Amino acid sequence: MIRPFKTISLALLVASISITGCNDNFVNTQPLDQVAGDAVWSDAALTEAFVTGIYAGLGQGGFNEQQLASLTDETIFTHPGRGITTITEARSNPADAGWINETIDWNNMYLRIRAANLAIQNLTTPKFANTNGIADRLMGEAKFMRAYYYHQLVRYYGGVPIIDKVYGLGEADYGVTRNTMEECINFIAKDCDEAAALLKGKSPAKGRGNELAALALKARVLTYAASDLYDAATAKSKSSAHAAFAQPAILGYVSGSRTERWQKAKAAAKAVLDATSGYQLNLSAPASDGTTNYMNIALSRNGGDQDVLFSRSFINQKPEAGGQQGLYNGPNGYHNWAGNTPVSLLVDDYEMIDGSKFSWSDPSKATTPYANRDPRFYASILYDGAPWKPRTADVAAKDPANQIQTGQYEVTSGSGKVSVAGLDTRRSTVEDWNGSYTGYYMRKFIDPNPAIVDQNTYQQIPWPFFRYTEAVFNYAEACIELGEDAEAKTWLNKIRFRSGMPALTETGDALRQRYRNERRIEMVFEEQRYHDARRWMIASSTLGRKANTISITGTLKAGKSVSLYRYDPTSYDYTYRVVEIDPGKENRAWLDKMYYLPISRDEINRNSKLVQNPGY
Amino acid sequence: MQKNSTSPRYADRPEERNRWLLSGFAVIVLLMLCSFGAMAQSKVSGRVIDAQQQGLPGVSVVVKGTTTGAVTDAEGRYSLNVPRDGIALVFSYIGYVSQEVPIDGKSTINVNMADDTKSLNEVIVVGYGTQRKETITGSVVAVKGTDLVKSPTTNLSNSLAGRLPGVTAVNRSGEPGYDGSAIRIRGTNTLGNNSALVVVDGIPDRAGGLDRINPADIETISVLKDASAAIYGSRAANGVILITTKRGKSGKPQLSYSFNQGFAQPTVVPKLANAGQYAEMLNDLNVYELPVSEWSAATQGFKANGTYTRPNGTVRTAPYSPTDIQKYNDGSDPWGHPNTDWYKSTLKTWSPQSRHNLQLTGGTEDFKYLASLGYQNQDAFYKNSATGYKQYDIRLNIDANINKYLHVALGILGREEFRYYPTRGAGAIFRMQMRGKPNQPAFWPDGRPGPDIENGENPVVITTNATGYDRDKRDYIQTNGQLDFKIPGVDGLKLQATAAIDKLNQNNRRWTTPWTLYERGTGVDANGVPNLVASKRGPAEPNLTLGNNTQLNILLGLIGTYERKFGDHGLTALVGVNRETIQGDNFNAYRRYFISPAIDQLFAGGALEQNNGGSAFNRARLNYFSRIAYNYKEKYLFEFLSRYDGSDIFPQATRYGFFPGVMAGWVVSEEGFWKRSVPIMNYFKVRASYGQLGNDQIYFPGTSTLATYQYLATYGFNTYIINNAQQQTLSEARIPNPTITWEVANNADIGIEGQLFNGKIAFEFDYFNNLRTSILYPRNASVPRTTGLTLPPENIGKVRNSGFDGQISYNGQAGALRYSVGVNGGYAQNKIIFWDEAPGAPEWQRTTGKPINAYMAYQYDGVFATQADIDANRLDYSAIVKTLRPGDMKYKDFDGDGKITPNDQVRNNRTNLPLFQGGMNISASYKNFDLTVLFQGSAGAQQYISLGESGNVGNYLQEIYTNRWTVDNPSSVHPRIANRSDQYYSGNNTYWLRSADYIRLKNFELGYTIPETFGKKIGVSSLRVYVNALNALTLVNRLGSFDPEADNATGQYYPQSRIINGGLTLRF
Repeated sequence: MIRPFKTISLALLVASISITGCNDNFVNTQPLDQVAGDAVWSDAALTEAFVTGIYAGLGQGGFNEQQLASLTDETIFTHPGRGITTITEARSNPADAGWINETIDWNNMYLRIRAANLAIQNLTTPKFANTNGIADRLMGEAKFMRAYYYHQLVRYYGGVPIIDKVYGLGEADYGVTRNTMEECINFIAKDCDEAAALLKGKSPAKGRGNELAALALKARVLTYAASDLYDAATAKSKSSAHAAFAQPAILGYVSGSRTERWQKAKAAAKAVLDATSGYQLNLSAPASDGTTNYMNIALSRNGGDQDVLFSRSFINQKPEAGGQQGLYNGPNGYHNWAGNTPVSLLVDDYEMIDGSKFSWSDPSKATTPYANRDPRFYASILYDGAPWKPRTADVAAKDPANQIQTGQYEVTSGSGKVSVAGLDTRRSTVEDWNGSYTGYYMRKFIDPNPAIVDQNTYQQIPWPFFRYTEAVFNYAEACIELGEDAEAKTWLNKIRFRSGMPALTETGDALRQRYRNERRIEMVFEEQRYHDARRWMIASSTLGRKANTISITGTLKAGKSVSLYRYDPTSYDYTYRVVEIDPGKENRAWLDKMYYLPISRDEINRNSKLVQNPGY
Repeated sequence: MQKNSTSPRYADRPEERNRWLLSGFAVIVLLMLCSFGAMAQSKVSGRVIDAQQQGLPGVSVVVKGTTTGAVTDAEGRYSLNVPRDGIALVFSYIGYVSQEVPIDGKSTINVNMADDTKSLNEVIVVGYGTQRKETITGSVVAVKGTDLVKSPTTNLSNSLAGRLPGVTAVNRSGEPGYDGSAIRIRGTNTLGNNSALVVVDGIPDRAGGLDRINPADIETISVLKDASAAIYGSRAANGVILITTKRGKSGKPQLSYSFNQGFAQPTVVPKLANAGQYAEMLNDLNVYELPVSEWSAATQGFKANGTYTRPNGTVRTAPYSPTDIQKYNDGSDPWGHPNTDWYKSTLKTWSPQSRHNLQLTGGTEDFKYLASLGYQNQDAFYKNSATGYKQYDIRLNIDANINKYLHVALGILGREEFRYYPTRGAGAIFRMQMRGKPNQPAFWPDGRPGPDIENGENPVVITTNATGYDRDKRDYIQTNGQLDFKIPGVDGLKLQATAAIDKLNQNNRRWTTPWTLYERGTGVDANGVPNLVASKRGPAEPNLTLGNNTQLNILLGLIGTYERKFGDHGLTALVGVNRETIQGDNFNAYRRYFISPAIDQLFAGGALEQNNGGSAFNRARLNYFSRIAYNYKEKYLFEFLSRYDGSDIFPQATRYGFFPGVMAGWVVSEEGFWKRSVPIMNYFKVRASYGQLGNDQIYFPGTSTLATYQYLATYGFNTYIINNAQQQTLSEARIPNPTITWEVANNADIGIEGQLFNGKIAFEFDYFNNLRTSILYPRNASVPRTTGLTLPPENIGKVRNSGFDGQISYNGQAGALRYSVGVNGGYAQNKIIFWDEAPGAPEWQRTTGKPINAYMAYQYDGVFATQADIDANRLDYSAIVKTLRPGDMKYKDFDGDGKITPNDQVRNNRTNLPLFQGGMNISASYKNFDLTVLFQGSAGAQQYISLGESGNVGNYLQEIYTNRWTVDNPSSVHPRIANRSDQYYSGNNTYWLRSADYIRLKNFELGYTIPETFGKKIGVSSLRVYVNALNALTLVNRLGSFDPEADNATGQYYPQSRIINGGLTLRF
């Protein structure tokens, strides 16, 4: 019996040694799904992957379910409880700022700024070969994105702390103060200059920062910097909140010449205009198909993509929310959700095709309001009677004509007449709770391809951050503000001709007003209006207006009989009436605190050196 | 692996080393088999009876000083082979005084067992061993498997509520496959992970946990609540649950079969408004869009004829005219004016579930086996359900005495868990039942399904396989091998080697197909029935996602114990080492554009937009542990536990933690003075313990994702679209914390235990005071976001959690009626002493000094019933609402600045977990009948009720309809209804924060044992039939509309189950 026990004892001894292994190296596991930080910066491909990751801060571009347009006099948001009215009714507060998109969000911007800083720090002396200038390109992209994120912060929050270092853990003091507006603008412009220089001559991949995008960003930022809101004295005179603010330099220039700022803005915009040529901007007369030209740009196709300098793409291989614009904004009669719907204020600002103003008080226009409008109207707005995609199978029989129905119509029933609600209204037989409050739907940015059934199919339309056209506008605006009306008109009319609209002829303030409307129409739904109305300091008379809607009734003409409704002026008399949105739905108002978003209470609690924006 | 290894041969090839070890083990087993020689034996049999002269089944009969033994059968008979050197038989049974009878060559030994409910000799499983109840120095409670099988739940975790003092189990959902309870031992102790460590047959943290263990396989569950858990140091901070499965019993083969047929239904189904009431409310909402000055006239107009002429001349039509509302109410127009109860339309009254168990046990004294087969099948609440849970399990436990020095215990478990669902989750399904507009049809009168609210989500369709399926198969294999080797020549010295290998293979398969709903078309058919048109919903075309996930856990352990008595001195010493590794691998694949919904295999998908991915992980630990226990005359008890643990969660420098525990007990009743002065209290013990225990289970805040590698600067992958293609991206996973180390639980406990009247009354009370230090938490609250830092957890938090728990029981007998009543309960209140808090937060909102996750809310102060109330209001509400309107809620101006601002929110002392949970057990037997009843209740939890999506896309609770402020009935208590929570008062105030206290009849079982004489006729030795129930009756439910254990404010979740079950157990 003794021998086996010896063996056993020995085996157990061996087993115990095996278990402890004399060392515990096996406990040093390594992550198998991540890569060590040190490895990243000595490998060009990994560094590129890191720099590409900085773009994630762009979120879905402007293609979220809630859009910035609904904080302006472009659209109203249909669904309650999303924080939209918190802003439009001017009741934002530092604990509840209302709907803040990830592309705006303070935390997210600084998260990505840190990433850019980290890339810039490590690319200053790259640890890999600068083959084909890859290190320069990545440095250029990082600087461009840092500038972009700072520009987001500045235009939403005012001057912010400029962080260009990479923080570590356990530093003594993380508190920082807000930089002045001038410091912020200079910082962004400098990054743009350096990015443009580094990216010059690098063939740009779609979606990456590039030389033109850097120049366009600089042009935008300098245009803003020259505007009323960014001039402390002007802001003080026009805004009660600013008047009471103790640190005006945070929000605007307190010294220097505005003319000089406009000249800088003009030069920056001109740099973009000189660097490329956009799309269809060489016409000398109104194009015959302005709608198509405009759609080509909005859908980034058929050459229209040449106008887009920097964008966020969506592809079916990676289904993302940004591919669901049709579902988010399309009509309920197509089983879509009708989120951001154009208000009548916007529709009414589309000119007639002859360049005259639309007016409800002109009876000839008021009875056929959707005839002979700016060709861009037809590319941007779905209105009552507008042709659109085929309806889904279950609704097809109710509307074989495939037209938008946002009115209330009489139809023949037996020997009498009954009134039925259009399929795309809030009294529809199809998902009435999703119907538009305004009688309009967004069309721009929705792929009209009938094969894309928006309720369950993603589209692949990119979001444009920078368009060549915007640089043209910025150039024209600077020219107007510098009194160079002729030069401004030369460029503005290129845009108008492309859209099939006649030339502008005004001068002085009249030209300025035409320019502002032109910009509103051309750049509609592109996240411009929110900022333009603020920097021009016209928000109280524009964004502060009550949103409104169109009430449409179709009455059968005498002797006409229609059993299944379709838009038909020969059988119907249509009446149109603009009605304000009920205050219990959305009671829009403007308070001067709304020029800037509040800095969140949590962040101020973390960093007492931060000064809150005026009015909060 | 690091390159500068100083290891011997196999350090870089752990698999090699394992193979070596396993083959060594096999050799040992072979050697032992060879050396085994049969020993001479004699047979002893007899009958054990109780005071009523009834045969006593289940009595353990053991040859003294050996592991040889048998168990009495249904008539109290036993028979066993006694080795020639056997001296005496020990008869023991819970509730009876153990007896030792000398054998003296007798072949028949009959015994009369006397009642002894003091059960001090009960053996309790503790860490790496067992102890008699009498000598335990820690706070340990236990429950027997025989009690757990009385609960007809399909998830073991649901059987624990109310049975163990200080253990709370809160069940948040009854969805098949995900119906487990969250178990907390002594409440919430840390800001991070509060889950207890589950140890099954000595192996910690086995894949699959405790939820799916077949209750019929369980011998006991013990819970270590205090420093007694320190021997599991590393993961023991939140307490330890020890599960011991049944082992074989010697004797002729015994076969038992049990069958259970249960029926389940939701405990609480919220009462919702009907179509007419809902239509009234939507009319109200339409009115509230108008300026307040028009509300009254508009309401009257809508009620009178459905229209209202506004001052500006326009006519406003009510969404629902009085005729509409009448039709909804009288049901005269089912096509145009349906009145749908979505819960009724979607849910069955009773959903079947069944369980079969077959258990075989037997063997000789030297070779015992237990084999157990289980099958269960659980249907969901839905009609035509695509949801369900099936489980197959087999367990084989073998014990063999190879010779008098060697004992081998082997165990193997195989289990398949099969969860199947429709492609829309329970959240979506119940969201649509809560939201479901009662004025839309679930089915049209001709039986075809009606339309959806969105995304095709008509619940009567998305609960079925019409949308495809989502299947999850998990196969577990768990093996234990244990070798006990008594070292010859050294009395009391034993070595124990353990190897446990757990393998999980999980396959997921999700097949999503388009489905059809029916919308009302135009016109009517030949029979005058309205035309319906089919509407395709769901994805544009079928798609398939496959996933595979495998995991291999290996534990190797070696333990040495020395246990001896030296006169009055008892000594136990134990040292051990454990090495644990986990390897995981997963991959997934996706294809769409299937050529037909008929083929659901990956190859048939289109090539376009296919997708796949995969990853892996490794985990490892190394642990050393020891126990030293000393007692003097079993009167003065002392125990020291320690554990030295290394975890891969921490970097090398701070990887190891030392976790000691000290425990002491004094059996006062053994002292002479006690026996003289307090003779009625035959047993009384005072005990105290203090220990430090570790926690390395750091979760990312608000998730249950383990935060690994927080000490490394690593970058994680994602993708972004460049040039219309996905490109890999990297981003910083975190800023590393190189000094991250163990979270430490400093747990103190003082307890008393005692018995009166020779065990008729037994009690046990504990006070505990736990201080958790070095809690891992990121400094998100104080580090400004301008830094852009993704912060790692740091060892910064400190939380105190104290309270008490205890139980008291009474055992009585009156004639043939035997009964016992027990009450148990536990109270725990925690407080954050320190963590990261924003420096600027006002004092009354600070989390420090409050319980973890305490609610913060505006203080409800009634409702502005009328415009006059608003005019009289002097508080400035402009920071949260532009213009006050009648029916708006009043808030208290807590900071007294005259304005209602976010600063007026106040943090309270409550959370959604109860402060107190307790139970009352009653059990009784009378002749052949037996009854157990468990009442269970909890107090101190709060839960938000939210209207969520109530409004134009969702229904309201009926209580809201009844109570709501209206123009005609202006309430000063209840607010005006909101549309999809769009009012400032829709959430985050104390009006919506409700008590979740409850008392329920958690469990009862009534059984009847068929008389033996009858049983014999049909060839069975015992037959018992029974009915039992879970959540039979909720006596008090302060939450009202939802189950009190709900943590879903909107009721959009799969509700908890009430189960009524009938079953029988046959023994052959």
